[in-house]
Amino acid sequence: MLSDFGIVLLFLITGFVFVALGLITAAIIRPHNPNPVKQSTYECGEELISGSPWIKFNIRFYVVALIFLLFDVEIVFLLPWAVVFQQLGWFAFIEMAVFVLILLAGLAYVWAKGDIEWEKPKPYIPSLKDLVVERKQHFAE
Amino acid sequence: MIDQFIIELQKSISLFKPEATLAVTFVVALIADLIFKKSKNISGYISLIGFIVTFYFLFWQKGQNYGTFTQMLSVDPFALFFKFLILLTSFFIILMSFFSKELYINNRSLGEYFSLIAGMTFGMFLLVGANNLIMIYLAIETMSISSYILAGYTKEIHRASEASLKYVIFGAVSSGLMIYGISILFGLTGTLNLFEINNFIANNNVNIYALFFSVFLILAGIGYKISAVPFHFWTPDVYEGAPITITALLSVASKAAGFAVLIRFVKAAFIDNTQLDSEGIWILISNIDWRFIIAVLSVLSMTLGNLVALWQTNLKRLLAYSSIAHAGYMLMGVAVMTDAGVTAVMIYFASYLFMNLGAFFVVTLLANKIGSEDIDDYKGIGYRAPILGVCMVVFLLSLTGLPPTFGFIGKWMVFSAVLESNFIWLAVIGVLNSVVSLFYYVKIFRNMYVRGVEENENKENYQFHPIAIIVLLLLAIPTILFCLYPGPIANWAAASVGIFLG
Amino acid sequence: MFQSVSLEYFLILAAVLFSIGSIGVLTRRNAIIIFMSIELMLNSVNLTLVSFASFLGDSAGMIFVFFVMAVAASEAAVGLAIVLALFRQKQTVNVDEVNIMKW
Repeated sequence: MLSDFGIVLLFLITGFVFVALGLITAAIIRPHNPNPVKQSTYECGEELISGSPWIKFNIRFYVVALIFLLFDVEIVFLLPWAVVFQQLGWFAFIEMAVFVLILLAGLAYVWAKGDIEWEKPKPYIPSLKDLVVERKQHFAE
Repeated sequence: MIDQFIIELQKSISLFKPEATLAVTFVVALIADLIFKKSKNISGYISLIGFIVTFYFLFWQKGQNYGTFTQMLSVDPFALFFKFLILLTSFFIILMSFFSKELYINNRSLGEYFSLIAGMTFGMFLLVGANNLIMIYLAIETMSISSYILAGYTKEIHRASEASLKYVIFGAVSSGLMIYGISILFGLTGTLNLFEINNFIANNNVNIYALFFSVFLILAGIGYKISAVPFHFWTPDVYEGAPITITALLSVASKAAGFAVLIRFVKAAFIDNTQLDSEGIWILISNIDWRFIIAVLSVLSMTLGNLVALWQTNLKRLLAYSSIAHAGYMLMGVAVMTDAGVTAVMIYFASYLFMNLGAFFVVTLLANKIGSEDIDDYKGIGYRAPILGVCMVVFLLSLTGLPPTFGFIGKWMVFSAVLESNFIWLAVIGVLNSVVSLFYYVKIFRNMYVRGVEENENKENYQFHPIAIIVLLLLAIPTILFCLYPGPIANWAAASVGIFLG
Repeated sequence: MFQSVSLEYFLILAAVLFSIGSIGVLTRRNAIIIFMSIELMLNSVNLTLVSFASFLGDSAGMIFVFFVMAVAASEAAVGLAIVLALFRQKQTVNVDEVNIMKW
């Protein structure tokens, strides 16, 4: 019989084989016909025109993520409760209801404070003139 | 079996009233802030009322000695003493907050501020009674997470955000270290209950290196809370950056809770509680000499704290280093591991409460007027604010440990406890350190009264709110009074030294 | 199921993870990555607790893990909120640039 380490080893081997198989098959089948366009870096569909792609995300995403994080962990407590719920009966149900209610109160607090209002960013609408200037600069380079 | 369990549970719940009151206060203060948006102080008043009710319930716990909730939390005289100190501190902090200008600028909502103070007090209450490693961890985190937020409450002030970030990073790492130690200790002994750990170590042969490693990690977590060197790095930055009231809260209440849990942890888990040796020193059950390790931490704390404080120019930062030094003095009392030492620590804390809160309150009130905490800006201030000046002198004398003040009693008790158990080198270092500390306390005094007198001669005096002066006197008068009549507090502390032991 | 893998391996893995986490905290300069490293430390603790609990047959360790996870989440939430507050002022999450207070 396999030991537990054997199973882990089997998984490792399978993973390696899976990746290697795909790469080797592709290398055998594909036509080899490079040109400059094909070899250019693929950057989300098109080449970078101007500016840095490392823009700041809307800060609101982080706030929503924070609030999500708090309710996410609720599941950790709900799961073992759900497993033994049949044996524990109504008492456990009430206990968990209290727990969920406390968390809901937190959600209500966040709501009342206006922290889940979506703060709309002012969109940057490029004018035609800007675009033309950028294009010219791009081609000049 | 079940009946007995229910009786125990009922008793536990009836003894849990003070903590329950604090939890309710926390929630009610938050909700009140939502409903009454106009009044900024409403949650502050609710917290004050909640604290008074908690005081009432605490009085009923007198003389109890019981491990509530299957020994998770103990209600004993030792915990009660520290609960009174912590609650009194939080009470004064809320009173002080009403007069702190930096909190009220920028139309800031203060609901969370006041309710988080109640929440932090709740965490500290749990911590002083915690008998189980889970409870210790949860209580430390309840207290810490509240204090991370409070330290950065004035978030548009750059220093406060920076302090808060440093605090949360250091805090998370140290609690990570602590819980790693807890997990190893759990693996070694197979239990999380301190009394069962004690029992296991006494009766079994535990790997001494693993035990040392795990307990040292736990001590690191607690040492972080009491800001003992080498776990002190956050202290100066956080104390300087946080709002002054929160600095005061951290330096007194959270340190008191940390000391309570340190003493309880050492005493419940590593001391042979059935016997004392001939000199009244507790006998350690493992071969590791915790006395020496804590003594070394103590020497490091007071020496580094005092020496670095010498060249500080910001008063909050100076008081931060002085609080590191005070942690060192108090660790001396823990290091000797006698009942006299613990009593001395408790008396020291009672004195530290009044003198440190008082000093920070003076800083708060003066910062309202001159907008600075720099010692150089305090020139001649003793003449422009006479009552504050005199009070500050009292607090500084007390912090140095000079005779007509409560601080002298605290220091004297600690040193006599150290000498009684023949730790002479420790006492000598302690006395030398007290002399060093005189230099920087005198520096503040010199700035207030000696320097810059001419510039301030013709300016009119600062005006302070009468209630602020009353609060200040409530802190200053006990500082002198308890030196003249130390009896009640000393007796109370001596009677409260017993902790619940399984 | 894990009977054939002995306890030591789990403990060594946890210790390695803990070391990686603490080295990450000490060497990285991005506040977010520091918090990720702290999470790694806490998770290695969870691994230690769970393996001890299953080895000793004592469920207290597993219960502790739930608490650790909940506390870790709240700590991360508070930490990220503080990073956000700082980011709004300085437009940076690099801890080396957060240095107006020294000695």
